[in-house]
Amino acid sequence: MEAMELDSEDNLQRKQCLYQSLDESFAIRKEMYRGQQYSQIYFARLHLMRTLLYSLLPNWKPHLPVCTVLELEEGKECIIVGTLYKHMKLKPSILDEYSKERSATPLVKPHNFMHPDDDLVLEDESGRVKLAGTVLIPSIYVTGIVVAVQGKETVGGDFLVEDVLEAGLPHQEEQPLESGEDKYVVFVSGLSVGSSSSNPLQFQLLVDHITGHLGDEMEQRVAAEIVQVVIAGNSVEVPHGLLNGQNLASKDQSRLSEPIKELDILLTQIAASVPLDIMPGLNDPANFALPQQPLHRCLFPGSSAYNTFRSCTNPHSFELDNIRFLGTSGQNIDDLEKYSDAKDKLDIMERTLRWRHIAPTAPNTLAFLCG
Amino acid sequence: MESSSTAAGGGNMKGYFRQRKKTGGITKSNSNSKSKKSSSPDHSATLASDIAKPPSLISHASLDLQDDYDGNEEVLRQFDVNMAYGPCLGMSRLDRWDRANSLGLNPPKDVERLLRVGKLRSECLWDGRV
Repeated sequence: MEAMELDSEDNLQRKQCLYQSLDESFAIRKEMYRGQQYSQIYFARLHLMRTLLYSLLPNWKPHLPVCTVLELEEGKECIIVGTLYKHMKLKPSILDEYSKERSATPLVKPHNFMHPDDDLVLEDESGRVKLAGTVLIPSIYVTGIVVAVQGKETVGGDFLVEDVLEAGLPHQEEQPLESGEDKYVVFVSGLSVGSSSSNPLQFQLLVDHITGHLGDEMEQRVAAEIVQVVIAGNSVEVPHGLLNGQNLASKDQSRLSEPIKELDILLTQIAASVPLDIMPGLNDPANFALPQQPLHRCLFPGSSAYNTFRSCTNPHSFELDNIRFLGTSGQNIDDLEKYSDAKDKLDIMERTLRWRHIAPTAPNTLAFLCG
Repeated sequence: MESSSTAAGGGNMKGYFRQRKKTGGITKSNSNSKSKKSSSPDHSATLASDIAKPPSLISHASLDLQDDYDGNEEVLRQFDVNMAYGPCLGMSRLDRWDRANSLGLNPPKDVERLLRVGKLRSECLWDGRV
């Protein structure tokens, strides 16, 4: 069937990009964690980050000695490197269920567990020391970050912090500027197909725009520069009333799968036109703990027929034309928001870059599986 | 009384005891065999004994007290408890050695050699005990 060409002779071609998946390290095979209380995770994290921080110390304060927590002497100016632990009064603890006296503190606020009395402790293999002073503000930091602090031990046995060094941003490679060729990646998240607030017309509008079925030639040229679409989690929302642990009646079973079927129809249209990566999120049918494994291909019978369709892990990392992307569906940022204070989520994302760790609260408060 | 028991024992009592295996099993000293009152093999499991216990009664912990403990195992145990290489529980010894190596901690080479070549325990000394 010939398409009617009113304005131009040639069809617009979509731009292409070299794609390389870097999700190898996020895939779980049969590994199981058999260590004691996450000690293996924290040892590896401390060691890797400490090596990195030691390499940065000569540029920061080269004249000061570095020591471990056990080697601290009262009054001696030095630098110590360790993992931060934030002691939080309001952090929910499973042991509260068993305490004999039910105290009068109100039920925890689900959105934030901060309290003015929170304090920070620095820990390494040899010991831990309470951090004092006004330089390190507990509301910004969370348990699990590795930092270097400079100061001295006080009479009371605390460590008075005078300065702090975070791992900071890694070295960026210079990217050669291409001759004015623009390529775009579309990121979309929280589609929540199947929820009462989702509007199929809005999603269809997005699909039409990406596939170039919308607008005049100028609009279509812009759409032709889209080389990749990434769907970052929470694509479906299953009616919660159905998930109460009881057996489902057969009519309810079809209600359970309707959102995913609807999603698949729309994803098929996208996958037919542009490479598509889909990541699981908090509400999607995947495992709960990070790293979430890819959504199963049989959930997408239509879209998985295309080789442009890729079901990916969360977190997801890939390389497009030698530019490396790393992202999550947001559970790590949401968790950080519960335990620290920030102007907005972008602030928290910036902090994860400066701390050089995308999920420092794992495995403490963020569910995490590790091999 | 034809018994082909290998170890020297007290006179008539030997015939009542089961044949002892040459290798494996638990072999304690025979010094208390003369003081035993009961010689019936039905009670063999309850005697502090020089008899090889039936395999179902051998618990895993007790195997460690014997044969495997020698100079090589001592070297591996020192590697296990060395704090510089991190916690030892939850990983096989070789995995822990590989991790220490890739973190640049320079773990001792003879430990690697013993783990890759020898038939020594692949798990740390606390494994199965905590």
